[in-house]
Amino acid sequence: MKAKNIIQFLLAGFIVLLLAACSNTDAEQLFEETPTERLNAQKKELNDLLLSSENGWKAVYFTYDSVLGGYTHLFKFASDGTVQMASDFDADTKVYNSEYQIQLGSTVSLVFTTKNRIHLLSESDNYPIAALRSKGYLGDFQFLYYGEENGDIVFKTNRNNHELRFVKATPQDWTDLPKNIDMIKNVVGSDSRPLFRLLETTDGTTTHQFDFTFSEVTRFAEANSIESGYSFTYEMGVGYAPNGIIISPAVEVGGQKLSNFVYNDLDGSFTATGTNGVSATIKYSTKPLVITDDYKALLPGNPQSVYGYISANLYTAPSNSKMFKDLVNKVNATLPATQSLARIQIVFNNATNGTYIQYLFNGGKATISHLVTTKEDAANKTIILTNVGWTQSAANVAFLKELDDQLTNPSGLYVKKESFKITYSNVIWTFTSAASNFRMTTYAL
Amino acid sequence: MKALKYNKIAFLFLTLAALSSCSHEEQPTESQLDFNQPSKTTLDNWIGDNYLNPYNINVQYKWNQNTVDVSRFLYPPAVNKVQPALEIVKKIWLDSYKTIGGTNFVKIIAPREIVLVGGVNLNSVGTKTLGIAEGGQRVTLFETDYIDKTNRNNIKQFIHTIQHEYIHILNQNKPFDEKSWSVITPVGYTADWYNYTIASSNELGFITSYARSNINEDFAETASMILISSKAEYAAFLAGIKSPTALAALKAKEAIVVKYFKDAFDMDFYALRDEAEKNTNAVINN
Repeated sequence: MKAKNIIQFLLAGFIVLLLAACSNTDAEQLFEETPTERLNAQKKELNDLLLSSENGWKAVYFTYDSVLGGYTHLFKFASDGTVQMASDFDADTKVYNSEYQIQLGSTVSLVFTTKNRIHLLSESDNYPIAALRSKGYLGDFQFLYYGEENGDIVFKTNRNNHELRFVKATPQDWTDLPKNIDMIKNVVGSDSRPLFRLLETTDGTTTHQFDFTFSEVTRFAEANSIESGYSFTYEMGVGYAPNGIIISPAVEVGGQKLSNFVYNDLDGSFTATGTNGVSATIKYSTKPLVITDDYKALLPGNPQSVYGYISANLYTAPSNSKMFKDLVNKVNATLPATQSLARIQIVFNNATNGTYIQYLFNGGKATISHLVTTKEDAANKTIILTNVGWTQSAANVAFLKELDDQLTNPSGLYVKKESFKITYSNVIWTFTSAASNFRMTTYAL
Repeated sequence: MKALKYNKIAFLFLTLAALSSCSHEEQPTESQLDFNQPSKTTLDNWIGDNYLNPYNINVQYKWNQNTVDVSRFLYPPAVNKVQPALEIVKKIWLDSYKTIGGTNFVKIIAPREIVLVGGVNLNSVGTKTLGIAEGGQRVTLFETDYIDKTNRNNIKQFIHTIQHEYIHILNQNKPFDEKSWSVITPVGYTADWYNYTIASSNELGFITSYARSNINEDFAETASMILISSKAEYAAFLAGIKSPTALAALKAKEAIVVKYFKDAFDMDFYALRDEAEKNTNAVINN
């Protein structure tokens, strides 16, 4: 083949290539709009949504519901990029103004760009427990937009991807926010209520009981099953509401999720009600959840044992009830300034004197003893101390009467050998009245 | 000859085809990106007049997760604290360098962005990070919300942070004599500097405990501590050092700092210190 033919063929080939080259450049379009158009549309959608609710939005923000509770925030967005905000983080529930933006993060997101109430959850040096040092309350203030669902705006938090819902707020939500703060004392519990607290769940047929403890600083509650052979724990972040509390994660009973507990001021209980008889109640009880047989070792016929409340070491014991401390204070108030109650000792089954309660004093005052007999209430598992006589005249012991009446109350005392220690290695025993809020902490001596 | 003619025709055709082949594609229309300027507040305008226009330094006080460490629990400053903080920075840092280094000094070597954070940047070991300088371009200042103009120690700590971070920026532009520096107190550097008292670090030849973290921090701490002290205060500090080797080390470090400013920027370090002190007093007394 001649050189010119080769060139001609080559040229012809190039022309064909060139003509074909542009024939199919379009990639398959999965969406009708470009990515930019879709992002812009989403930004607009979110902004329009934020502005759409007449009274703004409410969010109960559980930053991390395996450690912390919920913090209610109210938002009212304005088209000029400002937002009014209030929260129940602390007692300051007033409304403050700041700015917000719709920013593009890993997706379209709402960012509270200047300081306001929500930033209180993200202060590295303001943390509720040592484990959260440098982490504050684990709060975010950038929320990724995941769409609208039943009128709520669904976000995911920027750091840990937890869902956060903005629910349309009502005018009442704004006026009632201070009531969230008023609810705190009811969740913490009152000295005037019975000593014991529990969570009771029922699925309509079976009832389970759990002990209940609540930490105010973290707004977090824990409930452990008290039944042997049924080991189960509920861990609950608690958010305050004007009429009760909101729990996250929800308490699951009989396949139903219960999260809204309504407060009843008559008995101090919080109840969440499901359908078909399912419910959960946080309530008070005058009886310990687990009643021990520890009292049996103190009954007549057993060797001598002595239990002593020592003021210097045990006055501040958390297991003393307020009523007990009030009565001790009352006794001290009747004594001269140089004297005070040093010990209350119960001596069980002494070989010579039987059982008696000893009151010992600082400041040179002589010891006073109250001789008693003991018997058991087997049904209620209490030990009952009954008066026999005092070592001093009635007039001389009158100042002890109120305190002594609790120890010798006719319903008796629940006795518990505790597992914790205070200052010394002595075993701690508590004596709790079966008829009142009286509980005394003692060392086994 | 004939082949050549065909070639010419073919070439012409190719050119025409090349020019026309893609002509049917859509031409770009107006941008879909939002180029609208956000509405500016009085504060934004003040920043424009005092930082952006004269120095080409941007100030970011609104939250942007891209300029802060997302693993830290921080938050934007209270808006009413921004201008007071920036006024202090301008007076003590920008104005001092402008007077001594010349009008264009900070315009040329300056962080291009100052990021303000309201809260404390607490580390898990209990120390607090007061500022960060990155790549010679950005300085982040923490604890803006806590600035109290009436409290001299509070202002001094804030100024210390600015001076310290700016020394980093200078170093990131022109390195200092690291070789000479590293032989002065070679054994005192430690990662757990926060476990030592300042007095014990002084006696090892370090101006602060933080200076013991590495030679870069040592240089920045030495320079910034001298800058925030008056001549008399620093002389008194040196007079209090008991160990003669520590005193010699501190003086050797000071000499390297002075030489660095002279060689790298033709600046009298002591004049800069005096100017900074004058401006500090002006801030605290106003």
